[in-house]
Amino acid sequence: MSTPIESVMHLLQFTDSTFPVGTFSFSNGLETAAYAGIVTDAATLREFTESQARQAAFTDGVAAIHSHRNFLAGNYEGIAEADRMLLRYKMNAEARLMLQRMGKKLAELAAKLFNSPLIARWLQGINDSEVPGTYPVGQGITYAAAGVSEMDMFCAHQYGVINMVLSAALRIVRVSHYDTQKILFDLASQTAGYYEEAAKMELRDMNAFFPQLDIIASLHEKGNMRMFMN
Amino acid sequence: MEKFSMKHKTAAVPEVDFSNVPEMHPYLREPDQMYVGAPGKHGYLKLRFALDSTGKSVLKEIDRRVPLIAQQGLYFDEELPGMPCLYILSSGGPNVDGDRYQQDIIVEKDAMGWVSTGAATKLAEMKFNYSGMIQNIILEEGAYLEYLPEPIFPCRHTRYICDTRLTVHPSATVIYSEIYMSGRKYYGKGEMFDYDILSVCSHGHRPEGEQLFNEKFIIEPSKYDPRRLGVMGQYEIFANVIVMAPKEVYEKVYAETEPFVDKEQGIAVGITTLPNEAGLLFKVLGSKSGRVKKVIRDFASKVRMAVKGKPLPEEFPWR
Repeated sequence: MSTPIESVMHLLQFTDSTFPVGTFSFSNGLETAAYAGIVTDAATLREFTESQARQAAFTDGVAAIHSHRNFLAGNYEGIAEADRMLLRYKMNAEARLMLQRMGKKLAELAAKLFNSPLIARWLQGINDSEVPGTYPVGQGITYAAAGVSEMDMFCAHQYGVINMVLSAALRIVRVSHYDTQKILFDLASQTAGYYEEAAKMELRDMNAFFPQLDIIASLHEKGNMRMFMN
Repeated sequence: MEKFSMKHKTAAVPEVDFSNVPEMHPYLREPDQMYVGAPGKHGYLKLRFALDSTGKSVLKEIDRRVPLIAQQGLYFDEELPGMPCLYILSSGGPNVDGDRYQQDIIVEKDAMGWVSTGAATKLAEMKFNYSGMIQNIILEEGAYLEYLPEPIFPCRHTRYICDTRLTVHPSATVIYSEIYMSGRKYYGKGEMFDYDILSVCSHGHRPEGEQLFNEKFIIEPSKYDPRRLGVMGQYEIFANVIVMAPKEVYEKVYAETEPFVDKEQGIAVGITTLPNEAGLLFKVLGSKSGRVKKVIRDFASKVRMAVKGKPLPEEFPWR
């Protein structure tokens, strides 16, 4: 088991933008939102990011919490169920693709970092197409293996979502580093409330109502103009 | 808390109870008026489409309990004159506090059917409890169903929950649509987004029980304003169309359907594929119900063309 200092070091390592799972390649639909004139400045970027963060909290965040708990309980079937359910609850094809690409990269990396039979088994499950291998489920497992608490893992998950949008924003929206850092800083206060709710949710309670984000994602899915991957 | 203490049920009508769903927990008080599940507040409708001995699609079975009403199948679709068409009506006016409904629609092997509502569904103001609906839509091998109801209007303090289970054979096609208005815009000072909660879950399964997808959305305007960017933005109407269909059908429709954002006309349309190769999800945001309905009909027409080789007819001018 990791010492508290090691856990913090691991937490910082896994949330860093250089951690090679490909977060930098995705914009969560921001590219299309900017192109369509929906996100144009710091104010609209803030609302867009807030909606992305809320959506992630009550879907991906819930699956991450459940996989963290199941890892600590040594329950592989519980991890696999969280993984499969998250995919069934993800209505948007591009988001499914993104979560699976990043999930597999994380699984491969985690299998090298940790000597954990559960992680090895999950990677094997992904390679055998027995589980989808979603990124949030991978985060739950990896952070649990590193001795990071469920709450801290949830924060890291939310931070990743917010930071993915804001990092992309610097390249495609007319905003400054001051704007994006202010948004990132301010969104911290919402995360506490999201964790309180998400921690109480069962997997079947996962829900999302963000039709404008869904439509933006679908424009990106079928569009030609693309700087970021899908 | 006094909860469902006066529950009386008609034996043959399935129970509709969402008291174990967390988001409905604040809304479990027994109404002061007619109790939950009272006769007239517990509607049930069962429709079964099947082929008759000549191979014609007919409405073979209909079971109905007030306030839900359906008449006989009519053959008014000019493009598919062999398809029985049916309007679901409610004798009680709007859904009121403590109403429970269940609708079971079965389409047997190779049969087809069309179902809609006669007018918009109003969800009345609620003070104590909620209005809930369970739907089971079952399509057997080669079956075809278009379910294109009129919009749903929540009023101030409406609490509504709907659970729809679509059980569809891999060779069958269902078009299942829902249109949600934000409220009565011109009633009093307007009731836009004044409802308490809409909780809607639609999930697709194969006949053996395997779940393919589960879409759940909860809208609680007091918790997160739907007018925010990313939710509904400046739009006032939200529509969802689920198409479960064989892969060759949905891939063709997907290729023919372009998502768009039309700021001048105030309408935005998205399309994506459902998990586990279940079919398509088509979403519309708009501000005029006529335009939203037109976009949905145009999309449904593409699906019908891919399955039956015929488009949807022009909508009746009074609809």
